[in-house]
This record gives sequence, structure tokens and C-alpha cells, in this order.
Amino acid sequence: MSVISQLTKALPKNTVIIGDENTRPFECDGLSVYKQKPLAVVLPRDISQIKKVLEICRKNNTPVVTRGAGTGLSGGATPLEGCVVLGLSRLTRIISIDAENKTAIVEPGVRNLAISDAVEEFDLYYAPDPSSQIACSIGGNVAENSGGVHCLKYGLTVQNIEAIKIITIDGEELLLSRQDKGLGLLALMNGSEGLLGVITEITVKLTQKPQLAKLVMAGFSSVRDCANAVAEIIKAGIIPSGLEMMDKFAIEASEAFAHPGYPVDAEALLLCELDGAEDTVVHDLNKVVELLSKATSMRISENEDERLLFWKGRKSAFPAIGRLSPDYYCMDGTIPKRHLADVLEQISNLSEQYKLRVANVFHAGDGNLHPLILYDAGRPGELEKTEDFGMDILKLCIEVGGSITGEHGVGIEKLDAMCHQYNSAELDVFHQIKAAFDPHSLLNPGKAVPTLHRCAELGRMHVHHGNLPHPELERF
Amino acid sequence: MRSIAELQNQVRSGSQLRITNHEKDSDETFVNMSLYSGIVEYFPEELVVTLKAGTTINEVNQILGENNQALPFYIDNPDKTIGSLYATSGPEFSDSVLGVQIINGKGELLNFGGQVMKNVAGYDVSRLLVGSMGRLAIVTQISLKILPKKIAVKFQNQPSLKNTKPTLGLYFEQKLKKVFDPYGVFL
Repeated sequence: MSVISQLTKALPKNTVIIGDENTRPFECDGLSVYKQKPLAVVLPRDISQIKKVLEICRKNNTPVVTRGAGTGLSGGATPLEGCVVLGLSRLTRIISIDAENKTAIVEPGVRNLAISDAVEEFDLYYAPDPSSQIACSIGGNVAENSGGVHCLKYGLTVQNIEAIKIITIDGEELLLSRQDKGLGLLALMNGSEGLLGVITEITVKLTQKPQLAKLVMAGFSSVRDCANAVAEIIKAGIIPSGLEMMDKFAIEASEAFAHPGYPVDAEALLLCELDGAEDTVVHDLNKVVELLSKATSMRISENEDERLLFWKGRKSAFPAIGRLSPDYYCMDGTIPKRHLADVLEQISNLSEQYKLRVANVFHAGDGNLHPLILYDAGRPGELEKTEDFGMDILKLCIEVGGSITGEHGVGIEKLDAMCHQYNSAELDVFHQIKAAFDPHSLLNPGKAVPTLHRCAELGRMHVHHGNLPHPELERF
Repeated sequence: MRSIAELQNQVRSGSQLRITNHEKDSDETFVNMSLYSGIVEYFPEELVVTLKAGTTINEVNQILGENNQALPFYIDNPDKTIGSLYATSGPEFSDSVLGVQIINGKGELLNFGGQVMKNVAGYDVSRLLVGSMGRLAIVTQISLKILPKKIAVKFQNQPSLKNTKPTLGLYFEQKLKKVFDPYGVFL
């Protein structure tokens, strides 16, 4: 009996989706340049159904690609040829809320923002806020260790998860909690991109809503002045809840799109949000204003509406820039903040060299850079040129001591870039970790970690902090 | 002061090793990490410090204190080394871990994570190994997120005692031990 027949037989009606037309919505995730039709899509309603799917796939040696809301940007949920897509979008129950201990137990298909909506009556919210939070699912957030604009103060997903339940490919249930002793298995599952297990339940930590939040918006006549201001704020002992930078191109595009009142004559814009108890916010605000002495313009949000309006420009920067070009490619490198001005200068040089425009938005507080490369996929060779440009940016990030991805994940998109960040012994450790949980490599195989063969084929040498590994070895 | 090459040689030639911080543990079955200490990199505006594993908390506190910054986790005894805390702590500590350099049981020097707040490239080995009691690898260097002192103190409460072990937790721990230490060098 075929895999499809076995699935159809074992599961209720309308759970297994097959056929070209019906599976088309699942042929890609947020990285829409790569598409692949799966063998079938299964949308289970409970854990016992997930177990059945895994059992059938295991017995038939069929790969499984777990999918949340499909908003990921690195192809983590791109189907593989002949795979079953395990979509968890129907598991949307909020199982319980414990307002006193500030936790909630939810199913993986619950949307990020739906958690905050559900706990609003207790003056609580779920802190990590990836910009797709209106649509992305909490299961996907854990799988990718998603970030957002408030990570500097409130952490990434991994710091905001109390416990998870996973099912391994062998059907074993594993409850991992922050209360466990021993190895950090819970942390390992965060950001494991669906390669180690299927997340079936999540206990999230909730955060008390701040008494007050104020947003300072400051324009600068140079990127360097703006970057220095960021360093000054942090050195002064202030941890803003959000600290964002945009370059001139991004400022202009966002202003034209969302009209937040950004200074379009500025070379760089800083958004600095302070939240917390009223007296602390007022105190920090005065200090920040003092430190922004080189700003050419400055505004402080007068009320909540204005604060949200100032944010709206930044949060809609991607679609705003997307309007200006048929396609754009979003990068996600991280760098130590002190290198920001130099890195942006080099990106600008590369932009001229490749003759492709680039806009920069930057989570300045945590060093996460999002250059958006504008291109036209309709022009032959332009996607490839764009990907080369992107790779040069990522190499630059590695050279200055950063990483190829801060919050979007590796997926299929950054497999080649991984060959630059890690040497073969390190990649081998990753492969063995996968094998420890998924010995037959059936869960999202081939994603997140490149094969050693692939890296060798690229003929690329791993460079870490500007040093070649094993300098004693002869190079071929 | 010991070097990485010396440590690697000790792993490659040793059959059974225990990682320690005590001067008296001096014979060849011990890897004494207290001799491998010092601050590798510290930029206050990055809120990141990179330390050799044998650096004592007292040393770290002193240099961070000069910039009004501090380690944002519970420290029971500041005479301890950062490597010792890493080996014996839980999530409250790993929340601040950004990267590690380790020597595995084959004597290979490996880097995981980095010196940046956000890094989702590869599995999170730098947080996985927190609490590994020195049984999987020699942790040589650790990068940590730090905070301004007045904020860091809010995270310095003593965490609750960790006493649960997930079902199958031991099974996967044993498998992971083999990933890092296939010959069983670290006792």
C-alpha cells in the first residue's frame, strides 16, 4: 500500500491533502524563490494523529517536513521531493494560562500574537515579536529561535520558553523543561529547524506589560554618528527595549509608505524605545536625549498612538522597500556593533560593484543587520548575482566576528554560508547531533547543516575571525 | 599558564581525564583549568565578555565593575571559575551564554556560537553543554552576555533546585556524550 493510502486510511477525512492543485499552497514558505511539491500534506488535529503520521513515514522511509504558519524566510519548511509536509496549523488551542506564575501552555499552531491577545486581560504579553507575529506560529518560533525588535532587553525565543513537548521520529514523547538537571536539551531544541523532533506543546513565559513606553526618534547626518550614539546609550547603562537603525534608503521608502514623519533628509535614523516603570523611563529618557547630542533632528512620542506610528515605519520597512522593486532579498547577518559603520560602508561598495541597490535596517541593540537587496528575478542571472552579493555580505559578517543568521535560520537558503562559518569538524558535530535524535535522517533532512561534501565541492575555506583553521596544514 | 596546544595534546594522549580547578589535582589524569585564565575580549558597548574558562568570577566582577556592568546570573561563590559555573549550572546561566570554544574527546578545537547576541546558525551547542559537568568536552573559552549592574542584579537570584530528568533524558545524554567524546576520555 502506498504512503498516501496508508495515511488516508489511518487518519480522519480532510486530514490528508494530495494533488497538484491542493498541495500548491504548501510548495514554499516565506522564501518563495524555491518551490517543491510534496508527496502529500497532512494537517493533524491532535498528538495521536501526529504520531500516526510519523509512524507511517518512519516505516516507509518517507521524509517529513514539519510546517508551522509557513512564514519562515530561510526555507526551513520548503518541501523536499517525495516528502510529507506535517502542517501543525490546526493545533491552535491555548491549553491553560497561569497568570500568577506568568506562563501559558499552548499548542504549536497558536499564532505568536494570539498568545498576547489571550493574556491581555492579566496585563501580560508574550515578549518575542518577530515582524511576522500576526501570522507566525509559536511552534515555528521555537523551531527557528525567532527574534524580533525587543531581543536586547527581553531575549530571543529560547529565553522565553519554560518547557516543550516533542515527539521524536521513533514516536517517543519527550518533555523538556527549564527545571531539568543535566544537559541543555531544551535549549538545543530551540532553533533546531525541525531536524530533531516535532514540537507538540509549548509552555511560554509571559511578561508583565510595562507601565510606560516612550520612543525617541533621532536623525543623523552620518551612519557613524548614529552608530556611536548606540554605543554611548549602552555604555551609559541603559538597556532600551528597542534600538533600531535605518539607512537613508530605508528611511525614504518607509516614509513614503507609512508616513510616520521620519526625517527624509537624514543619512541614518535611530529609534530608541524605553519601557518600564514610569520614573525609570523618564530618567533614562532624559539621559538618552542628552547622549543624542549629534542628532540633527529628534522627536519623542507624545502618546501611544504616536509611538505606534513611529514603529509602523520601521515595522513596514520590508514591504515599503518591496514596493520599489520587483523582488528583494533579505539578509540576516549579525555583527559586533562596533563594526557597524565599516560594514555598512563595505555593503555600499559591494552594492556599486554588483550594480544592485540595497537598503539597510538594523536591530542595532543586538547587532542584527537586515540588508535588503533589490533585484528583478525576471532578468536572467539576476537572482544568482543577488545571491552572490548576499554571500559576500555574510562573509563580511563572519570576518568581523559575527554570524550568517541572527534570527531567520539556515534552512536551505544559507547552507553554503554555513561552510564559511563552521569547519568540517564542527559541521560533523551538528550531523552527529541530528543522528542522535533522528538516526535515519527523516526529519527535514538536508536542511540547516550542509553536508561536508557540499562544502568541499564549494572549495571554500573556513575562515574564523580572520584566521584559517589549522594554519600548520598545507593548502591545496 | 597553559596553552590550547598543550590541552589538546593532553586529550590526545590521555586515556581517562578529569577536568578540575584544584591546584592539588596535579597528576596526568587531571586537566587543571585554573591555569587557563584571563579575559580574551571585552567591549562594554557590546555587552559581551569572552573569558578563558579558568577565570575566576572575582576577576570578572572586578573588570566589569569598572564599567558598571555585571554578570546577570546567580553566583554562589565568586572564587569559582566561569568554567566551573558553566559545567554545573542550568538555563538561568545558559540564558547569558553566547558562545563556547571546546576541545572534544578527539582533541579537536571547536567553536560554537559566537560573540553576538543573536546567532541561529547551527544547533545551539554553546547552551547544550551548560550543565554537562565536564563529561563531554573541555570548555576552554566562554562568551557571555552581560548587563549594566543595576539591571543584572535582578537576574542574580538563586534559581530553584533542578531535580527533574526528562524521560529518555539519560538516553539522549548518553548519545550526545558519544558525539563529543566518542572514546570516553572525560570521566
